[in-house]
Amino acid sequence: MGVIYIGDRTAGKTHLALELANPQSNYVRVIHPDYQQIKSLLYDTNSQSTKPTEADKSFHDKYLNINVQLPTGNKEIHSDWLDTGGEIWRKYWQEGNPEKWQEFLTTIRQSEGILLILPPYRQLINNYPNPEEFITQKQWCNRFERWINFFKYDCPKIRHLLLCLNKADLFCNVQQEGNLLGYIPNRSRFNWQQRNEYVYQRYFVPIHPQIRELNQSISGLSVRFFITSIYNRNLLELPWIYLGSFLSK
Amino acid sequence: MGNIVVIGPRRSGKTTYLAALSYLPALRSRKGKDSNFKIQPLNDESRDLAENAENIIVEGATFEPTVIGDKLQSVDDLPYYSFQLQVKKGLLKKPENIQINVRDYPGEVFEKIADRNLSDEIHQEFIDECLMSDVNGCLILFTQWEHGTDKFYYRVMSQFLKLMDERNRTNNLKLAVVMSKCERGELWPGRIDPETDLFGIHLPRTKTILKDSLNSKNLQFYALSTFGVLHKNDPRPNRIDQAGSNGSESVLREPNSWQPYNLIEPLYWLSK
Repeated sequence: MGVIYIGDRTAGKTHLALELANPQSNYVRVIHPDYQQIKSLLYDTNSQSTKPTEADKSFHDKYLNINVQLPTGNKEIHSDWLDTGGEIWRKYWQEGNPEKWQEFLTTIRQSEGILLILPPYRQLINNYPNPEEFITQKQWCNRFERWINFFKYDCPKIRHLLLCLNKADLFCNVQQEGNLLGYIPNRSRFNWQQRNEYVYQRYFVPIHPQIRELNQSISGLSVRFFITSIYNRNLLELPWIYLGSFLSK
Repeated sequence: MGNIVVIGPRRSGKTTYLAALSYLPALRSRKGKDSNFKIQPLNDESRDLAENAENIIVEGATFEPTVIGDKLQSVDDLPYYSFQLQVKKGLLKKPENIQINVRDYPGEVFEKIADRNLSDEIHQEFIDECLMSDVNGCLILFTQWEHGTDKFYYRVMSQFLKLMDERNRTNNLKLAVVMSKCERGELWPGRIDPETDLFGIHLPRTKTILKDSLNSKNLQFYALSTFGVLHKNDPRPNRIDQAGSNGSESVLREPNSWQPYNLIEPLYWLSK
């Protein structure tokens, strides 16, 4: 049992994981493997960017040992980190690789929590020269609909779903949001309910109807909303701290 | 020593109640308040629960529902929370020490009781365990009071009484019947006399069938509030409702004003 970490291609999953392992951390520390090790696995030094995850090797089955500092002390989360390539969501891939697809489903169904990494949509971007590189709000909503169906029909027993709208540096002032939402044991400005409400009302408006639908169709599921960015440690750590509060030792 | 089972419908606040109970020592020491009751978690499970109270309730989040499935396949997987309860009896008398073992039941078990034929093996097993001869009492948490719920609770309780009778527990099992989440404005004034002002008014049929079927020494009605109200002079509920699965879920509003109401009394009565 562990956490699963998923998202469509170019959502920035690999980069997020890499940055999470950066030794300069606040409350979330990746104990194993170390930063250099992940970097060598994922970073292409020639092109200066992360290597795209290949669908054929959908399961880069890595062991991630994370330490979260909570008000009651430190808590270790032992998790299996599955970084899935984007192809896995395509019908032709699923049909062409039934065994791998089944293995993938089994892994997800056994996980305690799911972190879904979402890219921002075009209309949201205000801090990037070529916003047209991003999908439109309509496309984004359609894709999300596909996720909703995936969760509804393929994993009806999930308990924690964390939606992380990534690359927050492209659509908001991450410094400001990080200060507001940041976690400081016993002294945070916001509690979980307030953080969730703030992010949900501010950044997830286009999918409110789908979220209501999801809440109605899966009993016992809690969906939580986050914005993440590799340029702000506070925002980067929040989903893991939240998970750390719930997951077993 | 008292073995107590906590049952009630889904979302009636059973796990949150037990977590708050485990966290009471920390809460009281922070407030510097003294009481006639002192409770202390005794085993790993109840200590973990106290940590959860701090990580989850105090930080403004909610517990996940306790459901049958993955981690909870049979009654043997139910966590067993042990507490040491110390009761002050007066200035010169020795305090009384009681060990209480509590089991937190998934809400669906309670709701399934209404189905007359318990064909489901797992549910049957849960009910058998709940009515075993070494169980002193049940803490039954009700949470709804709106129109129509009395009918449902009545159905569950009549079936429960029948199951008690079949297992010869009618005269030797105590029931503490509790209205939970009494910080809600409509219920808060009724806490002073819950039998009359909560159960008598909102759940009259449920109350009547219990009173008619059980010996009065084995039945007590209580009002309980895990979150409490903001202050003695500010009876607004210390909770915020937020949208979640199945409607809304509640979180603690002001951790610094957290003052639960009546957590220990029903347990003490059950364990005596």
